[in-house]
Amino acid sequence: MNEKISHLMDGELDAAEFEQCCARLGAADARATWLCYHVIGDHLRGTGSDSGGGTAFLARLHTALAAEPTVLAPAPQRPATRPATFAWAVAATLAAVTVVGWTALSIVDVPPNGIAKAREAATVRAAAVRAPTGDLPNEYLLAHQEYSPLALQSGGPYLRSAAATAPAPAEPRP
Amino acid sequence: MKHDRRNAAPARALLLAAVLLAAPLTHAQDSAAQWMTKVTQAARTLSYSGTVMVRQGSNFETFRLAHLYENGEEAEKLLSLDGPAREIVRSPTEVRYYFPDAKVVRIEPRTIRNVFPTLSPEQTANLAQYYDFKLVPGGRVAGRVTEMAVFHPKDGMRYGHRFWADPATGLLLRSRLVDERGEVIEEFAFTDVTINAKLDRDLLQPSWTAVPDDWKVKRGGPGEVVLKDTDWVVTKLPGGFTKIMEGYRTFPGRSEPSAHLVYSDGLVAISVFIEPFTVTHTQIGLTQTGGLAQYAVRNDAYRVVVVGEAPPATVRQIAQSVARRP
Repeated sequence: MNEKISHLMDGELDAAEFEQCCARLGAADARATWLCYHVIGDHLRGTGSDSGGGTAFLARLHTALAAEPTVLAPAPQRPATRPATFAWAVAATLAAVTVVGWTALSIVDVPPNGIAKAREAATVRAAAVRAPTGDLPNEYLLAHQEYSPLALQSGGPYLRSAAATAPAPAEPRP
Repeated sequence: MKHDRRNAAPARALLLAAVLLAAPLTHAQDSAAQWMTKVTQAARTLSYSGTVMVRQGSNFETFRLAHLYENGEEAEKLLSLDGPAREIVRSPTEVRYYFPDAKVVRIEPRTIRNVFPTLSPEQTANLAQYYDFKLVPGGRVAGRVTEMAVFHPKDGMRYGHRFWADPATGLLLRSRLVDERGEVIEEFAFTDVTINAKLDRDLLQPSWTAVPDDWKVKRGGPGEVVLKDTDWVVTKLPGGFTKIMEGYRTFPGRSEPSAHLVYSDGLVAISVFIEPFTVTHTQIGLTQTGGLAQYAVRNDAYRVVVVGEAPPATVRQIAQSVARRP
């Protein structure tokens, strides 16, 4: 299901899958995943509300959570859903902020599979934001390669530029 | 005489012990840096031609490559064999990128120089401190028996590197970047290669002797760097990276110069560009091309663009910790 949600966000589902996935978004779990992936995506793109660090965001999150009304009659069938989802969302957010910042995660008390899921989610989003190679500004790349020890191997710096320019680099077609 | 010799023996034993004890670290430091220097020099100062496979993520492409070193000058031609047609011809003075499908030729003054003939002592030390280095038999690549150099990262801030070289000449025949899960994210490999044979000069000529009339000529390039203190700093620089360059460059077509700072751990480099933010700067966030990650972020009135052969988290951490020197 998580994979489906990821595909949905990337517009990669066909019509039937789209209907099916949207129907399932009625479930709290699925909605949390949807939200979580968006938070991750926003942070990876640097468009999140807190691209400066996780602390302010967590503080706001805690304030918001504290302000939430306490549910006195919890749904009896799924008592563990809320805490697990919350832990996962926190872990996912941290993972998104630090992406592979393992040390940051270790100070937060979250179940190990929460970390794994968060990490997987972050990886999924990282893969999804991979842009077409032609989008990489050639000037930055070239200016950088001049100083990269790696770029000076066989094939030289131009091999990588060549591969990076696969579709002619943002050149308008006549 | 006899007496002297008897005294010399324990001294020699002691000295030998000291050398043996000191050897592993110094040797590892030297060998990693020396090995890098050897292959970098070989790529530049040898003449060779062959077919190169480039793999970035799940994309594969092949190129015909010819590299000539003559009278201290390099010339090179790269020809794409699949995908959109591309041809890159590099002479001692300029680089031309031909895109016949789009009828575009891009001409850049030759600016990429061999900045890394040798590593600084600091970079050499970083290399040994942040990577485990070992040389092992590498099996055959492009029909040649190779030696393989393994640089295994000691933390999560950098990729792992494997290099296969021709032991006789030092020419790299294959290189791989692997992430922390051991997955190959970028690879360059010769599938066939000829080293030090007489190169047919035609191999280095562009397919077009003159630019056809209906082609568009674009002039570009990264501009020249003016070394200067920029007053920008990276406050959360990952371990092992040291600044190797700081200055300003003016990209073609721009009125304002961009600050350019480069950090290296001896194996890879990460570039930081800082320039005035304009409304045309719509590209914000992460872009990945094989092992190269780029992260752009707005920093008040500036845009920070970080490019490097490092995991996205490393590039991101640097981008988000760029600040004015206090």
